Amino acid sequence: MSDETMSPETAPETEATPAGDGAPEPVFKEDRTLVERYVNNVTGRLGAGAWLTKTLRKVFPSHFSFLWGELALYSFVILVLTGVYLTLFFAGSQDTLTYTGSYAPLQGQEVTSAFNSVMRISFEVKGGLLIRQMHHWAALVFMGAIALHMARIYFTGAYRRPRDLNWYVGLTLLVLALAAGFTGYSLPDDLLSGTGLRITYAIILTIPFIGERLAYLIFGGEWPGTEIIGRLYPVHILIIPGLIVALLALHLGMVWHQKHTQFRGPGRTEDNVVGERVWPSFALKSIGLFFLVAGMITMMGALFTINPIWLYGPYDVGAATSYSQPDWYIGFLEGSLRLMPPWETQIGPIVINNIFYSGVVVSAIIFGGLYTVPYLDRRFTGDRDEHNLLDRPRDAPTRTAIGVACITAVSILFIGGAQDIIAKTFDIAVGRVTTILQISFLVGPPLSFFIARRVCISLRDRPGPRRTERESPVIRTSTGGYEFLEPIDSDGVPVDQRSTSNGNGAGNGAGNGHDAGHVSTDSSGSPREVAEP
Amino acid sequence: MTIDERDDAPPAIPEVTQEAIEARAFRVAVAAFVIAVAGGLSAAWGYWSDEDRVLGVGLGVALLGIGFGMVSWSKYLDLDENVVQQRERLRTTVEERDDFAEEIKLTKETVGRRKLLTVLFAGSLASLAVGFIGPIGSLGPKPQGERQRTGWGEGTRLVTSNGQPIPASSQIFDQLATVFPEGSIGVDDGQVVLLRVQPGLLTERTIERGAIEGWVAYSKICTHAGCSVGLFGIDDRKPDTLRQLVCPCHQSVFDPVDSARPIGGPAPRSLPQLALAIDDEGFLVSQSDFDRVVGPISWTEGET
Repeated sequence: MSDETMSPETAPETEATPAGDGAPEPVFKEDRTLVERYVNNVTGRLGAGAWLTKTLRKVFPSHFSFLWGELALYSFVILVLTGVYLTLFFAGSQDTLTYTGSYAPLQGQEVTSAFNSVMRISFEVKGGLLIRQMHHWAALVFMGAIALHMARIYFTGAYRRPRDLNWYVGLTLLVLALAAGFTGYSLPDDLLSGTGLRITYAIILTIPFIGERLAYLIFGGEWPGTEIIGRLYPVHILIIPGLIVALLALHLGMVWHQKHTQFRGPGRTEDNVVGERVWPSFALKSIGLFFLVAGMITMMGALFTINPIWLYGPYDVGAATSYSQPDWYIGFLEGSLRLMPPWETQIGPIVINNIFYSGVVVSAIIFGGLYTVPYLDRRFTGDRDEHNLLDRPRDAPTRTAIGVACITAVSILFIGGAQDIIAKTFDIAVGRVTTILQISFLVGPPLSFFIARRVCISLRDRPGPRRTERESPVIRTSTGGYEFLEPIDSDGVPVDQRSTSNGNGAGNGAGNGHDAGHVSTDSSGSPREVAEP
Repeated sequence: MTIDERDDAPPAIPEVTQEAIEARAFRVAVAAFVIAVAGGLSAAWGYWSDEDRVLGVGLGVALLGIGFGMVSWSKYLDLDENVVQQRERLRTTVEERDDFAEEIKLTKETVGRRKLLTVLFAGSLASLAVGFIGPIGSLGPKPQGERQRTGWGEGTRLVTSNGQPIPASSQIFDQLATVFPEGSIGVDDGQVVLLRVQPGLLTERTIERGAIEGWVAYSKICTHAGCSVGLFGIDDRKPDTLRQLVCPCHQSVFDPVDSARPIGGPAPRSLPQLALAIDDEGFLVSQSDFDRVVGPISWTEGET
């Protein structure tokens, strides 16, 4: 098999021959073209030979649901960029001073340096509020994208071997992202964030045996102390992002190396990947997505106020406000604290306090459960094979139903976090809302399990529409080249000419017959040079 | 590239050729990039002329323009493709496994030959870890009962956050005040909610625990998760008038006329009550510190 010349600019005679066939190394003239400069200055010095070419030709399958992970990655990039800017202004200190900034209602109040610096970013630094609000919105999008991405991985069974390893990495990234969100949200030292820290201190306090000591170690003594903001600051801007970057590299490296999963379709097997090449197809769209995400977040930062600390005011030990909801991703924990019945257990000399259940035990169950997903799957299905083809959620009714039940449970906790707002909105007593949600928490998950399972089974057994994947006319060879096959339609019948797309092919892959044209035309519409196999 | 002007055709027959789609995508890409340029420039203008909204929206438009431009560009290029790439084997072969087993064997024969050295090496690393625990301990002092003590004591005056003592003769009923021990205003663990109700309403045990002339004082720190119990409400719907102390964080409800016992929400314990007295000048003072720890309890503090 021979390599195909992908770009007209690449002179065929400079194409490296496949390694290992004993051919003499080609000698290149000192030439000023881009290709020659790259070959002479980079690959020739690093022995990188075909590396970049291979990278550009790597194949990624495409499906809308594969986008969530990219979305998470790009919002993280925005978080880092905006975060670095904020770091240049933020003061991570609880020293008190008198506020003298331009926001009149707070003038003359005693505030901490941290609060003062965030006020300065919001009111005095030109463009500072925009960057700050972008940072906050990006964090909310980041968490949402991670949650959707993880749901996609779960419901399609992508966490199975060989990607179970990457499930653990991804889950750890989720935990780190939550920690990043919580620490960041606490830094401005406003009334809401101070209340959040106070609750955190209380939860740590209730951990048996080590609670009090641990709380003192973290907070530098009895609440509130003067240390915590100064400590959360390096954790938020260095330790957690550092860990995220490291694990993200591992996460993406594993996706790259193991290759992406794909849905079933004509020509798609456990042993191949069918999709588009990184360059130009995938990269153009994905980089476009980055700009779209950045644009949306910038728009949100510019138009929608978020975390208006000037309205909350600085943290004051004697104050707390109604309708104090944390950022959405902490909502489940807030709801857990609110919905837990007033239980307290005495085991010998040890007291297990109410918030130990709602804060520590509930979190442990949620994240512990997520970490054991690959193991439980292996244990109960007995399936230890490698899986590169994804299931549709309906293909695994029990798995899907368990996922739906868990999401139901967490959603009820999330709703519980805003039980006072619901009570106000619908004019019902808070206690009654709580009771309804407590009952829903017990009834909802089993009910949704049952419904989801039934729906999956009926969907699975129903003859569905024809698959919509397109035919596969190109095969990438092991050396990085391409072989062109006769295009086939979804029944496996070769189609030897390009049919005109008439707009009704959306539901039927065979209708999009212009696929065959993709490989024979380049961007200018003229026929592309194709080496014969 | 010829641009097919099919957009002008009557919409009765929605037949769109690939060429028309591409031409449209081309136009969208051109427009998007032009708008992006305009967005970037207006952002710069917004910065120089102190128009924060313009700055933000301009940047957003620039970024969205570039994004739409790139996606439309790729649509114009019609890059959708189905390329097949073979997966490489991930499972370890028998040869690879044996090779690794060889390495382990080699390690055992060389580095692992002297058990004593291995053990000592591991031991020295462990001792290093133990040695580093000390500095971690410096992060916070050892708890020495600070949480059991507050600023209250025998004869400590109740003062408001601006230092005003409370005359016991005050005739303000059913209104909540936050007070601190004199000398420790603003200190977290000393915050107290003070309330005067008609003395007849208070239960026996509330009076026993230190209510005086209808004055009751409770720790303001919620026994659930430590928020400030700052809401006081009277529900006077028939048949009874109900007074409630409510924590705004998690909606724990306490009964102020019955020693602040929890009557709703997640709090398991009543708020500690501050025993009150009246000093010579007629101001409210505390009889002593709280008889138990305020706020949420740790694992050893369950006896009361």
